[in-house]
This record gives sequence, C-alpha cells and structure tokens, in this order.
Amino acid sequence: MIIDHLEEPLPGSSLLPTPSGDAYTDPEIFGTEQTEIFEKMWNCVLRADALPAPGHWQKATIGREEIIVVHTRKAGIQAYFNVCAHRGMRVCTAESGKNKTLQCGYHAWTYALEGDLVAAPNLTSMPDVDRKEYGLKPVHVRQWLGYVWVCLAEEPPDFEQEVLGEVRTRFGEVESIDNYGIENLKLGETKTYDVAANWKLIIENFMECYHCATIHPELTEVIPEFADGLASQRKNGEVHGSNFGEEIQGFTVDGTASGVAELPAIAPDQDRKYFAITVKPQVFINTVPDHVIIHRTFPVSESRTVVECDWLFLPEVVEHVQAGELDISKSVELFHRVNQQDFQACELTQPSMSSAAYASGGALVPSEHHIQEFHSWWYQRLGLQAPLPAASGSEKVA
Amino acid sequence: MSFKACSLQDLTPGEGLRIDSVSPPIAIFLTEEGTVHAIDDTCTHQDASLAAGWVEDCRVECPLHESTFSLRTGAVDQPPAKKGVRVHTVELDGDDVLVELSQDAPNLPPGVKI
Ligand code: FES
Ligand code: FES
Ligand SMILES: [Fe+2]
Repeated sequence: MIIDHLEEPLPGSSLLPTPSGDAYTDPEIFGTEQTEIFEKMWNCVLRADALPAPGHWQKATIGREEIIVVHTRKAGIQAYFNVCAHRGMRVCTAESGKNKTLQCGYHAWTYALEGDLVAAPNLTSMPDVDRKEYGLKPVHVRQWLGYVWVCLAEEPPDFEQEVLGEVRTRFGEVESIDNYGIENLKLGETKTYDVAANWKLIIENFMECYHCATIHPELTEVIPEFADGLASQRKNGEVHGSNFGEEIQGFTVDGTASGVAELPAIAPDQDRKYFAITVKPQVFINTVPDHVIIHRTFPVSESRTVVECDWLFLPEVVEHVQAGELDISKSVELFHRVNQQDFQACELTQPSMSSAAYASGGALVPSEHHIQEFHSWWYQRLGLQAPLPAASGSEKVA
Repeated sequence: MSFKACSLQDLTPGEGLRIDSVSPPIAIFLTEEGTVHAIDDTCTHQDASLAAGWVEDCRVECPLHESTFSLRTGAVDQPPAKKGVRVHTVELDGDDVLVELSQDAPNLPPGVKI
C-alpha cells in the first residue's frame, strides 16, 4: 500500500503558525465571522425529509438571524426571516410545527406558507397594503444531498461554484460523491453535540488526523494508516481514501461486520475506504461503503458551537431498523465516539485560547500544513492580513 | 334578483374569491369537490376576509382565529366567533356564477359598517 507522502518541509520550517489565540475568543471577531461568513455563504440547515408535507416548518439560526424553513403548498420548500413585517415579533415561537398558515401571535398578521400576507385584522380596509412587500422576507433556498441549504445574502454566491465546486475540488470529481447517492439515503440516527468551543477549532480538528492515534483508539483500529498522522483531507484540497485495516470487516466500533447493505453504486476504489471532506463554512461529509455521516455546525458564540450529526443509510436498511430486524448501533457508535473524543479535545483547547501562553497562537506540523489553506481563506473572508510567514517556527517564545 | 358575481374561471379549487362590488362584500368558494358557495366575506368576530381562509370539508376556517363556518349553512363551529355568517344562493349559468343575496341582516363584527 502506498501512502502519499507530504513534501518534505524546508529546513527550519517544519512548523507553520496558526492564527493568534484571540481569533478563537474575541466576540468582535466572532461578530465579523457571522456577518462575513455565515450570513453570506450557503449553510446546510436541515434534512428535507424533516418537513415531509405542506405546512411542516422548522426554525434554524444562521449567523445572528433566525429563519423559518417551510414546506409550502405551491412552491416546495422555502425559507423566511422569522420576523413579522408588522412590528417585528417572532412569527414562529416553537422550534417546529405544522400549520396551514404562519401567524404572528401579537396582532395576528397571517402569512401564507408561500410567505405573502394573506390576512390581518382590518386588512380589507387597507387595500393599499402590498401583500408581497408586507409578506415574510424570503431567503435563498437550494436542496442538495437531501438537505435544505439556505443563504441569507441578497445576492447569494453561485451554489454550483461555491458548494458543488468545493466538493469537486475536495473529492476529485463531484461524480464520485454522487456514487453514494446521498440524496436518496434515509436518516438512521442523529445526535446533537453542544460543544463549548469555537467553530474553527472544530473545523481544524476535522481537517487533520495527527491526533487520531492518540485520541481515537477505535477509529485507528479500523483505519490503521491513520496512525501516520495523515488525514483523508490533504494539501491543495485533495481527498485521500483511507483504507480499512486488513482484518477489518466493517466501519463499526469493533471492526466487525456491520450487517448493513453497501451503497450499490460506489466505485471499486471507494470500497473498504473512508473519505472525508469539509464544505466551508459548516459541513463535514464522511463516507464509508455502507453509510454516510454528515455534520452540520452552528456557531452560537465565540466559545460555543452546536453540531448536528446524521448517520445516513439505504432506505431499506432504515426500514429494517425501524421494524426491529436490524441493529446499526455498532456502526453509529464508532463515529459517535470519534465525535465525543474530538469535541472533548476541542473543549479542553478552548480555555487556553485566551491564555497569555497562547497569545501569538500555536503551530501546525507538516501533516497539518493544509489547515493553513483554511486559515488563509478565513483571513481573506474577514478582510484581515495573514501574518507574514514566520521566519522560523522555532523562534516562538512562551 | 340575482347578479353575476364572477365566472367559474376566476375560481381556484380550495380557495375563496372576495367580491367587494356589493356591501358588505361576499366570498365565493369553489371546493375541491367542485361545489360553488357564497357567504358573507367578513368574519363575525373581527374584520377579516374569509376568502383568505382555509377550505376543508365544505367549511372555511377564518384566517385569523380558529372559528370555522359552514359554506352550506353559514353556521360557526367554535369561538372566538359567536355568530354565523349569511349564506347567499348560488346558481350556475354556463360559466357564470349567479348569486342572489340573502335578505337577512348581516352579522358584522364590531366597528364594521355597511
Ligand atoms: S407584530 Fe406581528 S402582527 Fe403585529
Ligand atoms: S376574526 Fe374570524 S375568528 Fe377572529
Ligand atoms: Fe478526530
């Protein structure tokens, strides 16, 4: 088996710098991230099948905004700011629900599922009120991989370029992710992790595997090559299929066979392999031959991030599970442990971000150098100047 | 005396059409089942247009609060509205929807005058 080796670091530059500690603790920086990243880019908010019929709606928070995602009667799934056009009260106050219309509880302005104002006390005597202008303010919506993606920007970035393009560069060819047929998979399990850490610590953690042999004993047992510290995500956005160990029978917590049917259209070079990609700014996609794991992250503050993790299987697998004929807990448990291990590491890192000892940041070893691509992107989005490449990584003084 | 309120083409199944050329205005409904009905458009609880309500099982639910009215009898099922609405006689002449207004006094909500 050949593992691609990273270019040898230049002498004296094994270590590259990370952003300084305050990038992970400063509420002002977090505010800029909300406006410049989360409120401008495409965010993956929920599974489309969470809204199975017209009238179903669910709330989501993107950046500083609360939005309502609704399955309409006439226009598929749409999303709006959760702000009443009358005097601003929250229109939907529960987390989710099913209604014929969306009605504000203050003065009963009533909006069609399609967003326009359909009724309000005395509305008929105010014929000049435009039903669209005083409807719910819409946000842009797309569906991909069975998920609803929204963008709050007036002029959204091109979905094909920004989201599909990101996956294309990461996965090699977008076709290869298509082999997993993710849009037709069903939810086998979902877990929510409320993580006391900055969202960037979670992305950085996900991008590297230098920590794998130390904190992920079960994962490293299944994918022994992770012990070399190289992650599935590599330099220049490439993705590497990480091989299962020779004795390993399935992507399960103990490496035994999963008992779960494989996704039918995967290519031979996708068999017995794990792939991982990050779709900036808030999605991780992990694929193995018989299921797909998707993380959506929702930054709440500079030191708190909610992560929703879904385990997706073939529909017939989920039917068997629901009928009590099949157990997927061995499959789910592996990445659930990985999540807990990773998030614990992030939570134990977060408090140090405000320490005097970390004021000028930390270091990236060669197998983590590709994280600098994420950092350059981050500096650029925030309109910040990346610090000049350190003259030498060894000059850092505590 | 009946008058032409609208044409069948103006109606969408499951939805109401407000006709304000008469006072008080009326609402014409075409149900999913294909029947046509006319009732007073103004809810008896507050000034809301029933034409914007949700139609199901030959009843319309007021768009503002939870009362529903029978499209056949005008009767209300539950508060907050307490009184029913008037029902007007509908006749079809080809595609023309002809309505003969009820001679009863309308049950208008507080603050709404003819
Ligand atoms: S604030 Fe929503 S109806 Fe008045
Ligand atoms: S306005 Fe119709 S029930 Fe209140
Ligand atoms: Fe990890």
